[in-house]
Amino acid sequence: MEPLSSYFLLSLVLLAIGIYGLIAKRNAIRLLFAVEIIINSATINFVAFSRYLQQPVITGQTFSLFAIALAATEAAVGLAIIVQAFRLNKDIDVLELKRLKG
Amino acid sequence: MAKLDIPLILIGALASAALLIPALDVGLGKVRNAKFSAYFTMLILAFALLILTIGGLGLVTLDSSVPNLLQNDLLGVFFGFVVILVALLVTVASFDYMKDNPNVSIYYSFLLFTSLGMVVLSFAVDLLMIFVAWELMSLPTFILAGFMKKDKLSNEAAVKYFILGALSSGILLYGMSIIFGLSGSTNLNVVLNALTDLSPNMIPVAGFGAVMLIAGFGLKLSIVPFHMWIPDAYEGAPTTVSALLSAATKKAGFVAAIRVFAVIFPLLRFDLSMSLAIIAIATMTLGNLAALTQKSMTRMLAYSSIAQGGYLLIGLVVLPTSPLGLSGLLYHSLNHALLQATAFIAVAAFRHKTSKTSISSYNGLARVMPITAFSLMISLLGLVGIPPLNGFWSKLVLFTAAADGGFAWLALGGLVNSAISLGYYGIIVKRMYMDEPTEKVSIKESFPFTAVLLIASMIIILTGIFPGPVYEFASRASIQFLSGI
Repeated sequence: MEPLSSYFLLSLVLLAIGIYGLIAKRNAIRLLFAVEIIINSATINFVAFSRYLQQPVITGQTFSLFAIALAATEAAVGLAIIVQAFRLNKDIDVLELKRLKG
Repeated sequence: MAKLDIPLILIGALASAALLIPALDVGLGKVRNAKFSAYFTMLILAFALLILTIGGLGLVTLDSSVPNLLQNDLLGVFFGFVVILVALLVTVASFDYMKDNPNVSIYYSFLLFTSLGMVVLSFAVDLLMIFVAWELMSLPTFILAGFMKKDKLSNEAAVKYFILGALSSGILLYGMSIIFGLSGSTNLNVVLNALTDLSPNMIPVAGFGAVMLIAGFGLKLSIVPFHMWIPDAYEGAPTTVSALLSAATKKAGFVAAIRVFAVIFPLLRFDLSMSLAIIAIATMTLGNLAALTQKSMTRMLAYSSIAQGGYLLIGLVVLPTSPLGLSGLLYHSLNHALLQATAFIAVAAFRHKTSKTSISSYNGLARVMPITAFSLMISLLGLVGIPPLNGFWSKLVLFTAAADGGFAWLALGGLVNSAISLGYYGIIVKRMYMDEPTEKVSIKESFPFTAVLLIASMIIILTGIFPGPVYEFASRASIQFLSGI
């Protein structure tokens, strides 16, 4: 198999794992992990495309650096919110969060 | 004519103010800075609005120093105007609403950061810039939604909003990576040129990328089936923040969607407008039907916001076939932003005084809080589209565009939905003006709320009686954008 398709396959598998995690898991930290996996699968895409295109360009690698930095900030904000949820509820099971109901 | 680099000026002004405000906590002390930061935020946003107005009136040549990243065009100026106007209204409404919060300067700082993200998003024409601006817009709103950190409801709203918001950026990033892989560039204009000679066996991959982009944007634009988090997030978050989320953040999402889809859709060589039209009708029908059964005011407004997103989507459906589509979308964005912000701010004023949100507590509000009741009535009637108000004209343009672009059934669906929406908006007006109040005490309305509500209602009525200038601005912006692609 040529390298680009194997990298693309890897990123597709990671994307599928991430989406599965979001659907199946109930722990807020696990959901955060699942989202991070999705972002990383896109990052792999960027780096692989950037290297194996007909005319290799640096843009994809720049983009992946930005994506990594932004994923880190997102994780920081998310963890802060989840820690506060734990302090208030003594639990971070998202299915137990059902005070807001119509 | 003088040249004006609007994005650069706004980035400088908003970012420096947002960074300065928390630092002043040390210099001025928390209590004095709470007052100072509120007025300072208002001044900066008013300055930004002034710059955008100058740009929109055509008094200066629009010029950008980084045209590959930020394109200084009328579309960006229009949406920048919308989001900054909403941010200004929300800031003034927050004077009283956030008064007792100990970290109020941080609140205003995040308000400026998210406004900055939305403004940059309005001008961005590079996928990298769009993604960075998207995050800059989203991250502060996660924190703002959970700003009442001891309040379990606010925290729950923040958790739900955060998970879905982070998923939206992840999916969006994946879609962008596929577009980059197919075209070898992130600049939308280059992407357009590179994708025109796409080999036919790559079309399925491009279609997959487009679906990912629709899902990523759709989570923010609250279109069915990605709308589940909206009512929870809007109900739990501080109501002024809900005003910002529904009126401004969603509009900024729309401008990014317009810029990306205008490039991607023509290149796919299969028609996505039919599936978008089905999403549009599903969004408005589901939003309206769910709103009918709500018991809480903020929840009802959240569902109505979903329904209005469906109307806006009509503009995106007919973007390739009718020139009216984009101007209708722009025009309705401004009107809907104003109406929705006014409605949420009125609800915030009521919630601040009584800490009640149920619809039954609005009985006889006209006698207890006359100004709040009046502006709530104006904004709700505007959302239905009653003729002298601005919501009527923009819905007219949108539905005409739908019929013009070959989607007559979509226009008909929109009309039926407007009739349904009168059911739940009308019942609120009836409760406020016809019913007896439960408690016969009159509540003193605080000054910042009455000021912002009266000004917003004035704008709604005036732009309804004289719709010309705003519509002309919207159509100039859309003509300039459509001639550029």
